[in-house]
Amino acid sequence: MSHPIHVTRAGLALAVGFALFATVPAPAQAASVNLGTAAPFVALGGSTVTNTGPSVLNGDLGVAPGTALVGFGLPATVNGSIHANDGVARQAQADLTIAYDQAAAEPVAPANDLTGQNLGNRTLTAGAYRYSSSAQLTGALTLDAQGDPNAQFVFEIGTTLTTASASSVVLVNGASPCNVFWQIGSSATIGTTTAFQGNLMALSSITLNNGASVQGRALARNGAVTLDNNVLDASACAPATVVPPVTTPPPTTPPDATPPPATTPPATPPAATPDASPSSTPTATTAGRPAAAAPQPSASPSAQSPPASRSTVPTRRGTAILLRSPRAPRLPRAGCTDGFSATVRGREIKRVVFRLDGRQVASRTGSPFRVTVKAGAGRHIVTALVTFKDATRARTMKLGYRACAAAVLRPRRGPSRFTG
Amino acid sequence: MSHFTRAVVPRPSGFRRGVGALAATLLTAGSGWVLAAPAQAAGTGVPASQPLVMLLQDRVARTRPDVGARRIETVAARRPLTRVRTVLPVLGQATGGDGRSWVQVRLPGRPNEHKGWIPTTQTRRTATGWHISINLSARQVTVYHYGRAKRRFRAVVGRSSTPTPRGDFFVEEALTLASRDSGAPFALATSARSEVLQEFNGGPGQIALHGTNGFSDPLGSTASHGCVRLSTRAITWLARRIGAGIPLTVTR
Repeated sequence: MSHPIHVTRAGLALAVGFALFATVPAPAQAASVNLGTAAPFVALGGSTVTNTGPSVLNGDLGVAPGTALVGFGLPATVNGSIHANDGVARQAQADLTIAYDQAAAEPVAPANDLTGQNLGNRTLTAGAYRYSSSAQLTGALTLDAQGDPNAQFVFEIGTTLTTASASSVVLVNGASPCNVFWQIGSSATIGTTTAFQGNLMALSSITLNNGASVQGRALARNGAVTLDNNVLDASACAPATVVPPVTTPPPTTPPDATPPPATTPPATPPAATPDASPSSTPTATTAGRPAAAAPQPSASPSAQSPPASRSTVPTRRGTAILLRSPRAPRLPRAGCTDGFSATVRGREIKRVVFRLDGRQVASRTGSPFRVTVKAGAGRHIVTALVTFKDATRARTMKLGYRACAAAVLRPRRGPSRFTG
Repeated sequence: MSHFTRAVVPRPSGFRRGVGALAATLLTAGSGWVLAAPAQAAGTGVPASQPLVMLLQDRVARTRPDVGARRIETVAARRPLTRVRTVLPVLGQATGGDGRSWVQVRLPGRPNEHKGWIPTTQTRRTATGWHISINLSARQVTVYHYGRAKRRFRAVVGRSSTPTPRGDFFVEEALTLASRDSGAPFALATSARSEVLQEFNGGPGQIALHGTNGFSDPLGSTASHGCVRLSTRAITWLARRIGAGIPLTVTR
């Protein structure tokens, strides 16, 4: 007699389970986070942005409401505009707040609560993940877009995000750093030489330790952004440059009238920030930066049927930067090296051909696009010819160096007169 | 006799450099000398990079950055075994009273670890990210590159009667040895000299890192006359990367 009862209970549990699965929306897909006018910024601080060493910023630099931008003269390089508590920076901060709140409000499935678990040596698919307190990354975190270039990853971290030295975030199967958002309740510390990816949005401060790199952005709302010999590159997140700008129709989703799809309530991507717009979005920024007004249009998860023209027009989204590791010596008047690794990083890279003084030394068709350069005596030039998967024009980048006098790699003959 | 003192009590690694740095700081505070402190790598205690100076002419080393200071010795522009240019680690820099630029350098030979000031005229500044560290008790050689341990090798070090001297030295020159020579195929001749053997095999008791050709003692033993013997593979790896001027630290 007990069997039927058990069967019935099991069936009931199964039914309840199915009912639950049916009623709870699949949390795998997180909604897009809209950075608004903060999108052009690669580093944005609330109080200060401070730099040490030859950092490279591929994107805008700004601070608001603070005014201090310290250490961005030589040898640092800022490939973008600089905004110290001007209208652009203040608006970017306002939009950052909206984006931050938007990320914090992303629903998270119970299974995606990773509180207490290290992010390292883990592969995550698209979705929203939560740490109710601090998050730690030691080792490599792999984010797998499973072939969906619009896959969104949102990490909601209650307090701090810390990465150990030489940790990394690896994006595979079409994942884009532009679609990875780290909402951090207090501060983020990116460890030495960590290769980080995604948009850091911290309530207070962000610190990048020596040699760390960020493919994405470092955006702090109230506190400081502190850099030390870093590379921050948000060029990959420049809005998809559809070339030529063929009859780009106005946003296909009506900005205000039509309610957004029910599954993605906060994200109405083409209309910039629905809450802050229209009065608060400065048109100056839009005008000064073509197509920048619609941050991450391709990042919209609701773009299930993108405009037909987009799929036919070749895109030029490829980016590349040539880095050397370790970087140029930080010693005054001693700009020489005795060997280094030259690495090309970027987006849509198909092949990199490295040449040393015009002679081909390596050809790479997969990441890492890297070659080890041993110093011979004298001055030399490493060139990297980068071809892209899309219609981006091939680029040749150069990196000159001088070998240290100490780099005598062919010992001369001599007598053995040692103590043995 | 050597004019420097060596503590005989055991002490933690880095003590010597810490005391040296403190002393140098105190010494230079009143004179306006500026120390060119190498960038320190986090955690390892090994400088991430070391400034060097190459001599283009013979230079006179003095006790202070002043032409009137006591002369220590003349440093030849080329090393005696292979005739490569002399490259010395830079420990500090200063502007003399006459406006000339000086650097404090570590000097080769006896007494071990001695240093002096040379004018920067007829020199060329360079730098290196390499650093060799020898732990005698572990009988292990660790090679650092920009502050990170890149390789570790087991080694034969000096026996108790002819110990490998401890301290901060540098590689004077790298040599390719004839295949029949003891220690072939390569040797890294260092600025260190044996504290026991004033002369050995026609040389000045010079300490080198070299191979094991002609020696049968196992790696990890204390059997040499002060030199540091490495496997052929290890010394070959080093010889392809390590040249003149590379700093060398020998610790207990």
